[in-house]
Order: sequence, then structure tokens, then C-alpha cells
Amino acid sequence: MTDRLTTLRKTIENVLPNVEGVLALRIGPGGITAPHLFSKEHSEELDKLALWPKEPVPDTLKIILRAHPDAKLAIVCRGCEERGIVEMFKHSQLNLDNLTLIGLQCEQDEAEFCRCAKPFTVHSKLTVGEPIEGVPDPLTAKIEAMSQPEKQAFWKQEFEHCIKCYGCRNICPQCFCNICALEDETWVETGRLPMPNPSMYHMVRAMHMTAKCVACRECEETCPADIPMAVHFRLIARDVREMFNYEPGASMDQKPPQLLVLEEGEYERSGLPH
Amino acid sequence: MIDYKNVLTTCPYCGTGCALHLQVLDEKLVGVLPAKNHVVSEGGLCIKGWNVHAFVNHPDRLTTPLIRKNGKLEEATWDEALTLIADKFGEVKTASGPDSVAILTSAKCTNEENYLLQKFARAVIGTNNVDHCARL
Amino acid sequence: MTNSIPEFETDTNCFLIIGSNTSEGHPLIATRVLKAQKRGAKVIVLDPRKNQIGHWADIFHTFRPGSDVAIFNGLMNVIISESLQDEAFIAERTEDFEALKTLVAEYTPEKVAEISGIPADVIREIARTYAKGKPAAILYAMGITQHTTGVDNVKSTSNLAMLCGNMGILGGGVNPLRGQNNVQGACDMGGLPNVYPGYQAVTIPEVQKKFQDAWGSAGPLTVGMTVTEMLHATQEGKVRALYVMGENPMVSDPDLNHVRHCLEQTEFLVVQDIFLTETAEMAHVVLPGTSFAEKDGTFSNTERRVQRVRQAIKPVGDAKEDWIIICELARKMGASGFDFQSAQAVMEEINKLTPSYGGITYERLEELGSLQWPCPTVDHPGTPYLHKGKFSRGLGKFFALEFKEPNELPNDEYPFTLTTGRLMFHFHTGSMTRRSKKLDSEVPEAYVEINVKDAGKIGLNGHKRVRVTSRRGEIELGVRITDDIKRGVVFIPFHFAEAAANKLTNSAIDPVAKIPEYKVCAVKVEVF
Ligand code: SF4
Ligand code: SF4
Ligand code: SF4
Repeated sequence: MTDRLTTLRKTIENVLPNVEGVLALRIGPGGITAPHLFSKEHSEELDKLALWPKEPVPDTLKIILRAHPDAKLAIVCRGCEERGIVEMFKHSQLNLDNLTLIGLQCEQDEAEFCRCAKPFTVHSKLTVGEPIEGVPDPLTAKIEAMSQPEKQAFWKQEFEHCIKCYGCRNICPQCFCNICALEDETWVETGRLPMPNPSMYHMVRAMHMTAKCVACRECEETCPADIPMAVHFRLIARDVREMFNYEPGASMDQKPPQLLVLEEGEYERSGLPH
Repeated sequence: MIDYKNVLTTCPYCGTGCALHLQVLDEKLVGVLPAKNHVVSEGGLCIKGWNVHAFVNHPDRLTTPLIRKNGKLEEATWDEALTLIADKFGEVKTASGPDSVAILTSAKCTNEENYLLQKFARAVIGTNNVDHCARL
Repeated sequence: MTNSIPEFETDTNCFLIIGSNTSEGHPLIATRVLKAQKRGAKVIVLDPRKNQIGHWADIFHTFRPGSDVAIFNGLMNVIISESLQDEAFIAERTEDFEALKTLVAEYTPEKVAEISGIPADVIREIARTYAKGKPAAILYAMGITQHTTGVDNVKSTSNLAMLCGNMGILGGGVNPLRGQNNVQGACDMGGLPNVYPGYQAVTIPEVQKKFQDAWGSAGPLTVGMTVTEMLHATQEGKVRALYVMGENPMVSDPDLNHVRHCLEQTEFLVVQDIFLTETAEMAHVVLPGTSFAEKDGTFSNTERRVQRVRQAIKPVGDAKEDWIIICELARKMGASGFDFQSAQAVMEEINKLTPSYGGITYERLEELGSLQWPCPTVDHPGTPYLHKGKFSRGLGKFFALEFKEPNELPNDEYPFTLTTGRLMFHFHTGSMTRRSKKLDSEVPEAYVEINVKDAGKIGLNGHKRVRVTSRRGEIELGVRITDDIKRGVVFIPFHFAEAAANKLTNSAIDPVAKIPEYKVCAVKVEVF
């Protein structure tokens, strides 16, 4: 069996002639990886193709599509990234017609690093690697095992460590509002560190993630203060699943609960960004 | 053709030295992406680092040399500006000695630029009157 | 810094952070300290303001600005009287311990409590925690250096570190956190009146000859002027022409009214910058330079780590890369040795003339990402921490230092102590961050921070603006009330030209380092 990197490189080579570019990871100077738009004009760059560490590639896709809405692109995505793309599609952030998904299945150590429940893609037609089972999340288990006062103290302390870099919001593929509540003084006081009320930032963001978070953990990874916020969102998502039978990114055509009352064709009227 | 690239560079603000990618789309800065396996910043940035691209294309940027004429700064060509400076520095140096010229290098400029400017002071002007605002 | 940032997370067992608002000045160093704390390291923070790290530190206390030397003497007093010092280190690697021991015997915790406002028991607890927390790192910033006793303060930090054998070990050391991205590099490259690149003294004839041979011509054997001296000299006409690259003394220097006066007197002022800064507005010629995004080069961070800056976009408008401007000007003046085709070519010359940068080439940086100097040759791995096994001067010297009061103390007319500093949201004179939408919206204007009780005393009572006056000037600005600042102390961030804190600050300087006393001056605060 050839390794994933070789197979992925071949797959990209096959896709390249039919698209304007393929978004995947490339190793840069000092061994630092970053999303890169591979093109047929510079296919030699595929020598530097990389798999890990995972990067917020859907976010890069969003940036490119804003300037080139009709671009025909392909993207290499892992399970979480695929879910992110599906949710972005449902919120009119991108058009799937012009997008080829190349699913990259995660390996055991990667899934464990991410504490990921679904380390595989389900929508991508092209896939690389063998899908594996999800792994349990020991951190969620640890927090769930705490007593109520312990939980409260735990989150309070974590939130107090926040340095208000806005990184978690900036990097999140599901944060695309034009006006962000986290920048609204009604909610989050500006210009103060420590924030006078650090929970507010985190509760506001958690509420906004209820039916959108796809558990990619990019927010946790960029957080300089190591705040395990994806756990916070995961626990809330559990309630959303129970109440609305909705799981972000799982299915293409199921509407998210915030769009439940709208019929087909009414998206425009809802004022959602298009 | 879509021209998108991530350019790995170093944050120009505090002395921590976080690495970041400047996201460049069609030759314009569109954003910042942290550098995950970087030894100092480990994929994180502070709020300044995350917004580092924002001032670069500000309309206030100086885009041409300026020369003071009748008390007002007016646009000039590079040649006019550099000739004026070269003449004036030369004249001051000859008339009052090299130590009547003083030079401030910069904690915000690169090593190469700091090197060149102190070399300019010492080798071209002939003075050790070189300093910067490190103490400040 | 003697040590490296990653060591904090992995090796340091105790942090003594003094005179550094690390969360705001160096946010990603603060978060490293946080990660160390999660591993079990102890964090001690001393600052006139309870900043964010103060909130989560294991021990935090405020103190009277300027009492640093007394505090260090007090800590050493406790350590020596409880025999917690590292005898072996003192015997093998240091000298003049006896003088220190005799002097600090006078500084009992009770006496220091009176000077500093830190209770005697807290001083004891800090001393014990530091002494038992090996490897322990001292972190400091401008809160230590920007005093008339700045050099004494710095020496005090190394006294303490040596006393407990915390020098030359992984995770220990004394670690000044540099405020600006490339202060370290500007110094390394000889942007100083007394040294060539690599700290080679201008007064040594062999050094002069070395550069003469390399450049064709070099500077004199006498030390040049510092910024402060240059500005004074413009008034007497001793300095007739001033060339300023990328600095904004009209906001950053102390006693701004005086600075303005000096710059106005300057016969010929050239300013090279990316914005028309307050200083550029006064220039005779302004040259448009480029930001970090438009040029190639390297920066050296606070842990001596040299890293690449890479050009992402073309220079804006007709602006030029600063290194190209300098070369063109030099050639215009008929100089040779300025024909560089790239920043990399400049680095190649630096490699040849700067021993500590000898092995820091672009090829290696491309491959390794970064290198920490000293790195003398291309097969040298760089130096994460200094003074391993031996100090550069041989034995580490203890300095017995008496506490001295700051130059200006509060009195009846000027009852508050003003201290200045940075915010996380802005940088230096604000010329970049105040032009970033997001950062500007976080803190759009200047304010003075004052203790709740003091606010009541001056009758603030809902007033939104105040006037702050020192012996040198006055400014009007907004106000923020907090109980995170020590009573009697007020704080003003210095990023704002329209209410520049440095109109108030004292230009009294440390006699050796020539650093102005930004961190202490006497002011009054009035509502209007
Ligand atoms: S894990 Fe974080 S970054 Fe990813 S979708 Fe959820 S909130 Fe956004
Ligand atoms: S990434 Fe972390 S530190 Fe930054 S705003 Fe989010 S929670 Fe706070
Ligand atoms: S991102 Fe923030 S902490 Fe990092 S170097 Fe820039 S200013 Fe400093």
C-alpha cells in the first residue's frame, strides 16, 4: 500500500488539469506548513506537499472565493474540514458546484491528537487513506466528571486566562458575520485586558457556535492561553443534537435549526450573507 | 489566474518574535495566518499580530519623497530628495566636521537596514553619532 | 535575554516577574508562563499595577515605583539569613560576595517593607519561593530599566540570579523582555554610539582598523552621542544635520516640549518613515520607506533569535525598501561599498564582520527557521542560553548597591507618581496600530488610570476627562478608574500623540545607560 502522501500527490495531479487550483498544505521555510494553492502551472511545488499539522484550509478557501466567486477549485479536506465546508455552503458562504472535495482520512495518532469523534470524510467523492473510527475525548470526559462547583471554577479560571486576541474567532471557518457581536461594546467591553467580564466573550461565542461548530479545534489550537473551548462547544452541540436532531456538517441537505422555519428559496429573505 | 500565497514572516511589533503568514491574494494583503509549528508562537498570535496587515495599505502611507519649500512639505522626486540630502550632509560635514551630523537608526527596521545605516554614519559621514530609541 | 522563551514552558520552576506588564507588552511570553504554571511552576509578579498576569499569579503585590533595588536587597537579605543561597555557585563562579552580604544585611524585610510598600512577610515568602524554585527565571522589562537607577536595577536582578545559582542553566537566567521587535537587532548591528556591529568597541584601535580595512573608512576612536545628547546638541548648533530612520522621538522621548524645541532648532532634519509621523512633520526632507510586509531582511527577537522578514507585496506607491534608500544615498555621496543587490548580500557582509552573527546565513535560516546568536560559524547550532559554565567576563561579579530614591518624588503640589507604559492593543508611538481599524476601535484615545479611592479624593465624581500636569507640561485626557493600580500611582499609556504622556515625563537619565526615568515622575490630576 502506498502512503497517503504519495496517493494524495497523485490524486492532486489528476485533478489539477480540470481546476484553477487545488488548496492543500505545503511545507515552507523552516519546516513550517501553510495552506497553498497548487496550480498546474507550478505542479513541481507538489514536492513540498504536506499532510500535517492540520491547517484551517476552509478559511483560506473562503478568502479566495470572496474575490473569485466563480473560481473552479479543489480542496483537500479532512473530516472536520469537510464538515466545515458543508456548513459554510448551508450558510451561503460558498458554492459547491465549482468545488471538488478531496477527502483525506485521518490516522489514529492524528485523531487522538484532535480528540476527534469523526476523523473521516463522508461527502468527498475522491478520498485518500482508509477511514478509521472516532476516538473518545478524554478532556471532555474529565470535565464532565467534575462536580458542578468544580466545573464552574474550571471554566471561570480558563476564561480569565483569555488574552482577547480574537484568534479563535478569526480562524474559525464558521465565523463569517459581517458585524461580530464580540466587537459590540454592548457585550464585550473594548480595550481592556484582563477583560472586566471574561466569561461574556466566551459565552457569546459559544451561543453563536451552537449549531455551527464542526469540532475542527482550530480555535483551541490557535489559542495562546490553551483554553479548551471546543469542549465547551461540544457539550452545547450535544444539546442541539438532542433538541433539534441536528449535527453540523453531517448531512448535505438537512437544514440547520436556525434555518428551520425557512422554506426553499427563502434564504435570501432571511438576510443571511450571500 | 488566481494568485494566492502565504508569506512566512516575523511580527513587526513586540520583541517576542512571533512568526506569521501574510495572506496575499492577487498581490494584496488580505489577512494573517499564524504559523503552527513555530518555535516561539506555536500557532498563536496576540491581537496586534492578528491585525498586522491592517496598516500597510492605509491611505496615510507616504508614497513619494517630500521636500520642505517655503515652510511646506511638497512632493519631490527621489533624485531631487537624495541630491539635496547628499549635498547638505556633504556641506555640513566639510564646514563643521563629521560630528555635526547625527543619525538615528531604528528598532523597527531590519538588521540589514540598521547595519547599513550605521555603516553609512561611520564610513561615509565619519561619525559615531549613531543611536536609536532602544532605551525608550 | 540570557535564556529562551521555549525553556519557560518546559524547564522553569519559578518566575519572578518585575517591571513587566507581560500580558500586554509580550502577550505570547505571558501565555508561555501560564503554560508553565499549569505544569506546576510558581509565578511571582511585582508591579505597581495589578495587570493580567498579576490576576493569575501565585504571588502578586504592588510596590512603590522606583523601589526596585531595595526590594532585591530585601529578597537577598532573607535568602542569605535563611541560608538558601547556592554556595557552590557563589564559590566557583562569582566574586565580591562578601561586600554584597554585608550590604544586604542592612535591608531587613521590615525596612524594605517601609520603602517599597510590600509587607515583610510577602518579601519573605517571595524570597523563599524564588530560592527553592530552581531553575528560576527573572523576567523584566522597561519597569526595571527606565529609571535613573536603571543600571543598578539591572545589576540587582543578576545579583539575585547568581546568589541562587540561576545563571547559565536551562530555564533560569535574567531575561529582559525587549519592547520593540528589533531593539535587539538594532543594538547587535551597532546602532549605538559606542560599538560597531557585534558590540565591538569603537574605542579599540584594532577594531577601528578592522572596519577601516573592510569599509575603506571607519568612525573615530571616540564614542558618539546618544539620542538625548544629540537633541541637546542641536540646540547649540553642535549637531547641524539629523537623519532619523523609522523613529518618532516626538512621541517616544521624554519631556516632549523640549524635544520639539530641539527639532525646531535643527538646521537640517531628514526623516525616513512610512507615515508622516509627528517627527516627520518637522523634517526638511521626508523619504518614504517601507513596512515589514514590503521588504526582505531579518529581525532579532528578545531571546537573540534571528528570523527572516519576507517581502509579501511590492512597496506602496513610490516608496522604497529602506536598505535600498540608504545605499542610493551613500552612492550619491560618492561612497563605495553600497552596491548590494539584495538584503541577503548585506547579511553576507554582516556575517564577515560580526563574530556572533558569523553563521547566521539566509540559507540556514531558510532551512532551520531561526538561529540564536552567538552563532559564530555555519556549523554552529546557535545558543539558546548564555553563560553556560562561564560568564563572558570570567567570574560573575556581585554589586553591592544602595537603594536611591527616584529623581522626582511626589510632593504637596504634585501628589501622584506617574508611571508610563504600553497597552496590548497598541504599539510604541501608535503610528501603525492606531491606523489598524480593529486595534484603534479597542482603544481609540488616551486615558489615565487611577485608583478608585484616589478618584474620589480628587473629586472625579462622574467627570470623564482630567488634566494631568507635571513640572514640564500638561495634557488632557480620558480617565479609567480601577482598583488594580496602587494608590498614589497613576498610569498613562504613551501611544497617543495628542495626549502624549511624554510631555509630562522627566528627562533625568541613568548616568551610565542614559535611559530616561519614564517610570517615575510627580504629577497632579485635576478635573475640569
Ligand atoms: S472547533 Fe472552533 S474553529 Fe472549529 S468550527 Fe468549532 S468553534 Fe470554529
Ligand atoms: S484564542 Fe484564546 S486567548 Fe485568543 S480570544 Fe480566543 S479564547 Fe481568548
Ligand atoms: S503577535 Fe503579539 S506577542 Fe507576538 S510578536 Fe506580535 S505583538 Fe508580540
